[in-house]
Amino acid sequence: MNDELSIDWTVDELMITSLSATLDNDDQACNGMASFIPVIAFQLARLTHAPDLVWVASAVGVDARPERVPASTLEAPLWRDSVMYLEQYSTFWDIVLKGSWLQKFCVGAAQLDRYGNGNNSVIGDDYHRPKVRLPGTAGLGDMGSIGKRLFFWNPNHNPRSFVEKVDFVSCAGWLGGGDEREQLGLTGGPELVITNLCVMDFHPETKHMRLKSVHPGVTVEEVQEATGFELLIEGSSAPETVVPTVEQVGLIRDVIDPDGMRLREFGR
Amino acid sequence: MPQEKLTSLKEAIEMVPDGATVAIQNMATQSAPMAAVRELIRQGRTGLEVVALVGGIPIDLMAAAGSMDRFTGAAVSMEQFGLCQAYRNAVESGEIVVQELSETALNARLGAGARNLPFLPTRGLIGTDLIAINPDLVMISDPFGGLDVVACRALIPDIALIHCHRADRFGNLQMEPTAVWPDIGIMPKAANKVIATVEEIVDTEVLRNSPERTFLPGFMVDAVVEVPFGAHPTSFNPRYGYDTAFHHEWIAVARDPEGAKLWMERYVYEPDTQEEYLDRVGGVSRLEELKRWEITE
Repeated sequence: MNDELSIDWTVDELMITSLSATLDNDDQACNGMASFIPVIAFQLARLTHAPDLVWVASAVGVDARPERVPASTLEAPLWRDSVMYLEQYSTFWDIVLKGSWLQKFCVGAAQLDRYGNGNNSVIGDDYHRPKVRLPGTAGLGDMGSIGKRLFFWNPNHNPRSFVEKVDFVSCAGWLGGGDEREQLGLTGGPELVITNLCVMDFHPETKHMRLKSVHPGVTVEEVQEATGFELLIEGSSAPETVVPTVEQVGLIRDVIDPDGMRLREFGR
Repeated sequence: MPQEKLTSLKEAIEMVPDGATVAIQNMATQSAPMAAVRELIRQGRTGLEVVALVGGIPIDLMAAAGSMDRFTGAAVSMEQFGLCQAYRNAVESGEIVVQELSETALNARLGAGARNLPFLPTRGLIGTDLIAINPDLVMISDPFGGLDVVACRALIPDIALIHCHRADRFGNLQMEPTAVWPDIGIMPKAANKVIATVEEIVDTEVLRNSPERTFLPGFMVDAVVEVPFGAHPTSFNPRYGYDTAFHHEWIAVARDPEGAKLWMERYVYEPDTQEEYLDRVGGVSRLEELKRWEITE
């Protein structure tokens, strides 16, 4: 294993390796639509520290082996060479809801608030006459409430997506903070938020979003400025996010995603 | 002899009344019964409640045509092609009302519909704002003393519209091994009527070679129509991929009512037959390209 750190890593690769580090060898993981960073993180984990990780591509293909990352993370080319297709109604959700498997879930949300509540439903005050109709909750409305450990990713950290309070809760985070989740009988919950600027977690008691590390070259002030609420910052500075290794960067660029599909998440 | 179900697209779609609740097979850019959707629009159907797991271009076309005034489902998106803009405009202006459900809540509603139950529960959605705004979702206590659950009222679509790989003339429906969304898993069982378009009609003897692929028996199916490339421009694994250029062409005009109208004339209203439609989208050479599944577009 080559631990030499990369000197020419880019932020897409840093987000992928940060997410990959959250996965363990005995995990199962699945992905939804337009999820390049999670899809590459799962494959990277399998090629490095978590070879037995089982990836359910598009929530369909068990142990898929795509040739490379295709333009869609939902369509058939991603489930290539699977050992099984899971039927959504009778199989996929039974496996997820049982609770023993697929315990971690990667979430992308248009808005996220200080307690990790997510919104993919509507922007504006009126659900029935929204300013912007977003795609909809899909699986997030389930994953936030059924005991899953949630890992958010957002390649565009800005005050419009990190807001004091989401316009509408379509994915249950820590709700109003403290023990509010517990009171509703909800287990699991948001653990980590990985953006193009930093990594954040949640204070164990207040459940307030907290700066965990800043990416090299980014200042704490820049992170706060890009965040629409007061971020919990312990001490006067934050540690730097661990950068990718030469091996990781090579696997991402040459083996997993040679077409650079991951850059689509950054509008490139 | 079982009852003959083979019919024309026109006659099949005439079974759908204005204001009906129509469940449509679709997952973003995948496997939508597009020929049937175009026929619904051509016949001028209005006031439909459309049910889908994740609706893509069929929802956008029906929104643009004014066919629907309600959407019930988990999301509407064309994934890499972005949000459905005609649908978005219609929702934002109040013309379409959305009942947004999580996947387990949609499955529970359809599951209850299929099993003749008043509701089925889920533990999904608890803590979100989606319960309070939805009269079809109610928090109830567990009669056995456990945690509260969300009761999801039975949903019984009038019609399920699906597209399959093959069938015989009696409506026995087969799918080739592929992803199976609830569209196939539960929607046709919950609906009062099932209309299926298929890539090909085959002799019943052909189905007998692989009965494990038959997922719905003919007695549950009301109409079956042969429509090659009936899911175009969505993908239909393993037969053909989604049509990238066609999606882009639609997106370029979807926000502009005049442009959308012209586009609809060309691809929805004018072609009288599926052959005519396929000619207009590029004919045999284009369809051959789609069979190759260009994965980086």
